[in-house]
Amino acid sequence: MRRLFCFGLVFALASGCVVVPQNRRKRLADSMMRFDDDGLEAHKRQKFYTTREAAAGGDGTPAGGGCACQ
Amino acid sequence: MPVVALVTLLVALAPPYEIESVRLRFTHYDQKGVGYQSAAGPAGQPGSEQLTVEQPQAEVVARIGERVTERLWVPIDVITAASPDHSVYGLPVGTQPPDAVTTASRRNTAGTFDTLTTYRWDRATEVSFRAAFHLEEPFESWSYGLGATRSFAEDNTVVGASVNQIVDWFDRFQLDGSRNGRANRSTTNLNVSVTQVLSPFTIAVLSYGGTIQVGTLGNTWSSVLLADGTRGEERLPRQRLRHALALRVAEWLPWNGALKVYYRAYLDDWSAYAHTVEVNLIQRLFRGLHLRAEYRVHRQTAVRFFTTAADPTLTGYRTADSDLAHFVAQTVGGAISWDFELAGRLRDLHLDLGYEHYFRSNDLTVDIATCGFGLLF
Repeated sequence: MRRLFCFGLVFALASGCVVVPQNRRKRLADSMMRFDDDGLEAHKRQKFYTTREAAAGGDGTPAGGGCACQ
Repeated sequence: MPVVALVTLLVALAPPYEIESVRLRFTHYDQKGVGYQSAAGPAGQPGSEQLTVEQPQAEVVARIGERVTERLWVPIDVITAASPDHSVYGLPVGTQPPDAVTTASRRNTAGTFDTLTTYRWDRATEVSFRAAFHLEEPFESWSYGLGATRSFAEDNTVVGASVNQIVDWFDRFQLDGSRNGRANRSTTNLNVSVTQVLSPFTIAVLSYGGTIQVGTLGNTWSSVLLADGTRGEERLPRQRLRHALALRVAEWLPWNGALKVYYRAYLDDWSAYAHTVEVNLIQRLFRGLHLRAEYRVHRQTAVRFFTTAADPTLTGYRTADSDLAHFVAQTVGGAISWDFELAGRLRDLHLDLGYEHYFRSNDLTVDIATCGFGLLF
């Protein structure tokens, strides 16, 4: 976990060095590249895993709550 | 009369709204397996965890004026066998309706009304407010959230932060199914994230989420198998602090495809540690027609007080919940989606079909079938 945190810190600091002009980001704007294209699909996955895995949640979505489970 | 005049004035002054999208999704879950927290099985052995869930969802996104976007979302879960029925204790698995204590648990309908309002502060900054209410027969929940994102370096970097608060109230049950007052818990969640363009073909998101939960953290009806063959109540700490660090990377593939990789590390103060890796491969076959293949593996350790044969004389924490045990879970799945581009007011018609198979090293399998329909204006 400590190593991952260090990696995250390096990622955050180094990320400011990259600037890709908008006219070269066509591929990144494609619908296939989106992380959160469909909120309903995302909810399906989040609810499924948070109600079945004790170590789910906590990464952008609240862990627990919303149902009578841990 | 003044009220009518005021309402008329407000309606006249309100900015025009425009529906951006309407989405519907229906998902069916078919779960089979056994777990030590369930009493629906032979004495001294894990009981059935069989259940089905039907999950319809609806979402409408509307733009109000130039700066405000409003999302209304209603997910519903219709669940069979959501809690244990100890009257079937000692009977073989599958001979009785498993895991049902209350009328709610034989067929439990749970619904949520969720709203998200996003305000574009300026070209680079957005703030959002979320409010939701969840209701099911022995359970109510309120949640609120506040978030903000700001982009830098010609939108190459987006920094986001959000905080969420959830408050739950629910009936407390004893193992014989009788109600014993009310219980509650609070969940406070903080998230920070950095989204970074790494190249014209690669984008990544690094996020951290911290969550603290206080109160009754179990559902109160899960039982623990004792060393003498009987069953006792689950006893959990009243606080839990959870951390998760996740990295997502999406890479454009030159043959009109995309590869998405996700890694997540998790730890909490109940001594549960977990690593999750997920890979998604998306391929565009024709214009608007996509195939997606998915594989996910999740490995977690048990919480420190997990047991499958608790000493009845001890008074410390204990749980037999298979979700809190050590296991390796894998998901294999795929989906096909069509996006028909249309002329005029309706810009896009979306259809998708998907299937996933989830299987765990501690006797749990779930088959998931889903279909989605969307109208984008």
